[in-house]
Amino acid sequence: MRANSMVAMILAGGRGSRLYDLTKKVAKPAVHFGGKYRIIDFPLSNCANSNIQTVGVLTQYESVLLNSYVARDHYWGLDTNDGGVYVLTPRERDTANLEVYRGTADAITANIDFLDNIDPEYILVLSGDHIYKMNYDKMLKYHKERNADATIAVREVSLKEATRFGIMNTNKDDMIIEFEEKPAHPKSNLASMGIYIFTYKTLRKYLVADAKNPDSHHDFGNDIIPTYLKDKKRLTAYRFRGYWKDVGTVDSLWEANMDLLQDKAELDLGDATWKIYTEDVNALPQFIGADAKVEHCYVTQGSVIDGTAINSVIGTNVVIEKGAKVIDSVIQPGAVIREGATVTRCIVADDIEVPAGATFGSKNSKEIKLVAGQESE
Amino acid sequence: MRALGIISFEDNTANIEGLCDHRPVPAIAFMGRYRIIDFILSNMTNSGISNVQVYCKEKPRNLIEHLGDGKHYNINSKRGKLRLLYGEKSFSSDVYNHDIANYMLNMQYIEEDPNPYVVVAPSYFVYTIDFNDVLAQHIESKADVTMCYYNAKDAKTSFLGCDVVKLDKFKTVKGLEKNRGKLKSQTVSLEAYVMTKKLFIELVKKAADTSSLYWFKDVLADSVDELNIKGYQVKGYVACLNSLPEYFRVSMDLIDHNTALQLFKSGWPVYTQTNDSCPTTFAEGSKVSSCVVANGATIDGTVEHSIVSRGVTIRKGAVVKNCILLPGAYIGENAKLDHVVVDKYAIVHHIKKLEGTDAEPVYVARRDRI
Repeated sequence: MRANSMVAMILAGGRGSRLYDLTKKVAKPAVHFGGKYRIIDFPLSNCANSNIQTVGVLTQYESVLLNSYVARDHYWGLDTNDGGVYVLTPRERDTANLEVYRGTADAITANIDFLDNIDPEYILVLSGDHIYKMNYDKMLKYHKERNADATIAVREVSLKEATRFGIMNTNKDDMIIEFEEKPAHPKSNLASMGIYIFTYKTLRKYLVADAKNPDSHHDFGNDIIPTYLKDKKRLTAYRFRGYWKDVGTVDSLWEANMDLLQDKAELDLGDATWKIYTEDVNALPQFIGADAKVEHCYVTQGSVIDGTAINSVIGTNVVIEKGAKVIDSVIQPGAVIREGATVTRCIVADDIEVPAGATFGSKNSKEIKLVAGQESE
Repeated sequence: MRALGIISFEDNTANIEGLCDHRPVPAIAFMGRYRIIDFILSNMTNSGISNVQVYCKEKPRNLIEHLGDGKHYNINSKRGKLRLLYGEKSFSSDVYNHDIANYMLNMQYIEEDPNPYVVVAPSYFVYTIDFNDVLAQHIESKADVTMCYYNAKDAKTSFLGCDVVKLDKFKTVKGLEKNRGKLKSQTVSLEAYVMTKKLFIELVKKAADTSSLYWFKDVLADSVDELNIKGYQVKGYVACLNSLPEYFRVSMDLIDHNTALQLFKSGWPVYTQTNDSCPTTFAEGSKVSSCVVANGATIDGTVEHSIVSRGVTIRKGAVVKNCILLPGAYIGENAKLDHVVVDKYAIVHHIKKLEGTDAEPVYVARRDRI
C-alpha cells in the first residue's frame, strides 16, 4: 500500500529522570510497559496503523539499546520498500563539532537534510514517551480540511490540571489564538499533547530562521508555535478523545499499567483493529504452577508463577517462586521474585532479583516503591 | 552445517483424530503457542542448516501461512532457503501419496542443492537434537546411513505403529519392524536420517523402481544387509504425536514445568510464527492452577491442569479441567469441561457439560458451535 505524504519524527532523546533507576541505563522511550511492550511501541505502532511508512527517531540519552531496538523496523511492519525507521542521533559535521540537540525544534532542524531527501508534504512531530492509541491519518485529514499551517493535538483536562500543561486558547472554531505554558489561571482546558502536524514547506522556513535566533530555546512549544501565532499563521487544535498518559514518573507508569487491569479497559491492547506491535520475544508460554494463585493480573509470555500474584502486571520471563507474593505491583521483564518474598505497590525493574523472604513496599504507602537494587526494607 | 534439511511427513498410521481433518499433523497447534513442525524445524535451523525443504502431504494452506519465508525460524533471507514442497499429483490418492512420490516429483530441487549431506526427519516426533552431533558420528563411523532412535520405556502404550530398530552390539541396524505394543522397552526409530545426498537420491529412485507403494523407510528396511546403517541414540524428552490420546497425554505431561524444560532447552529456542497478541488477562475471581497459558487469552473462570492457547476466552463460572483449548476457543459461562480438546475458534456455549477420558478425550471440531 502506498504511504501518505507525511513523515513522522519521534522525539526520543529524553532521559526521563523522574523514572530514576528505570532510566539509568536506557532512555525513557525504551522503558517496558504492560508486561511485553516498550513505551515507544505506542507511537511506532500508531504510525504503522496510520499508514505512515517513514519514521525518524531522534535519540540522544543512553541510546544504544533504543537505537538498535527501533532500527528493527519489521517489528512494526514499517519495513516497506519506500519507508523504514531511521535512527537520527546528533552528529559531527564539516562545519560544526558534535553538538547535542538543543531543543525539540533543533532536533528537527539538525535533520533538515534527512527531511529534504524525502521531501514530504507534511511532518508529524511526536514524543516517544506517551501511552495512547491515535490515528494520525485522521489528524492529517483534519489538518488539510482546515487548511492549517500547523495542527496541534489537544485533550480536554480539568481547569485544575490545566496548570500543569501547555494550554491552547482557541476561538470558537478551534483555531488557536494563544499558547500558555503551565498557566496559573488557565483560560482554556485544552492541553497540548505534544503531537504536531506541520506543513513542511512553512515549517522549514521557520526552523531555519529559529536556528539563527540567539534568544531562542529552539523548542516547539516555547519558540516555534509562538512565532507562528505572532505571524498569524493558521494553527488549529485537534481534539483527541481517548486514553492518553504521560508515564514520566514512577507513580504514573504504575498507574498506566494498572489501567490495563480495569474491566473493559479504556486502553484495550487486545483490539485487533489497532494492534500495538513490539519485539518478537522467543519465550515459552506461561507456566502457572499447581500452588499458584493468579488473580486480576495481566500476564505475558515466559513467566513462571508458582507463588501468588494479585492485581498486578507480570512481564516477560518473570519468575514468581513458591510462597512469594506480588500484590498491586508491576514486575518488569526478567525480574525474579524468590521464595517467600513479598512486593506490594512496587515496580520491580527489569532483571532484578528480589531475594528470598525480602519485603518491599506496603499496602498503605502513598508512593509506589521502585525496586531497582538489592536492598530490602 | 553442510546438509540439506528435509522435513518428511508421517505415514498414514499417524492420525490425530479430529484435528487432522482440518490440517496435516505438522500444522497442529501444540503447547499453546506452537505448531508441531516448529520443533523439528527449529532443531534444523539451530543446528545451522540453512536450506530446508518441508514436504507436505496434504492441505498445505495452514503450513504455507505458518512457515512463510522462514525468517521467523532464523533462516537467512539471502543465504538460506525454506521451501514448502508437495506432490500436486499425489494429493488425490492416499495410498500413492507417500514421501517417495513427493521426493520424485520435486527431485530437481533436491539435486540442485549444493550441500553434500541430507538430514531427513519428520515433524511428528517432538524432541531436541543437535544434528551436528549426528553428522559427526555419521562421518566418524563411516556409516552409509545414520538413523536416530530412542529407547522408549513406554512402548506398550506410546510409539504405537512406529518402527522398531533391531540393533546389534555395534549399533548397526539389522532390521526394522512395527511396534505393536507388545514390549514396554523398545528402540524406536525417529525416522531421522543422515546420509550423503547422493545416496539419498539413489535410495529414493530405488524405492520408486521397486514399488509404487514404497515409503522411504521401506527401502531402508530392504537395504539393511547391503548398507552400513548405524544407530544414533537420542536422549532426553522424546514423544511421538501420532494419535489423539498421545497428543493429549504428551500435552498434559508438558504442563509440568520441569518436564517441559527437558524439551525446551536454554540456548536452543523453539521458533514459531507470532501474531502480536497482548498479554493474557486473569480476571478478578478467576482460578488458574497447573496450566500452560499463551498470550491474548481472557480467563474469568476456573482452569486446572490445562493448556490455554492464544486468544482463548473462558467465561465466568466455567470449569475447565485437563483440557487443551486451541487458539481462539471460547468456553461459555458455567460450562464444565473435563478431558476435552477444543479445536480452533470452536464455541462451547449451549452444552454445559463435556467429559472425556485419558484414552478417549472428547474432541470439539474447528469452528463448531455447540
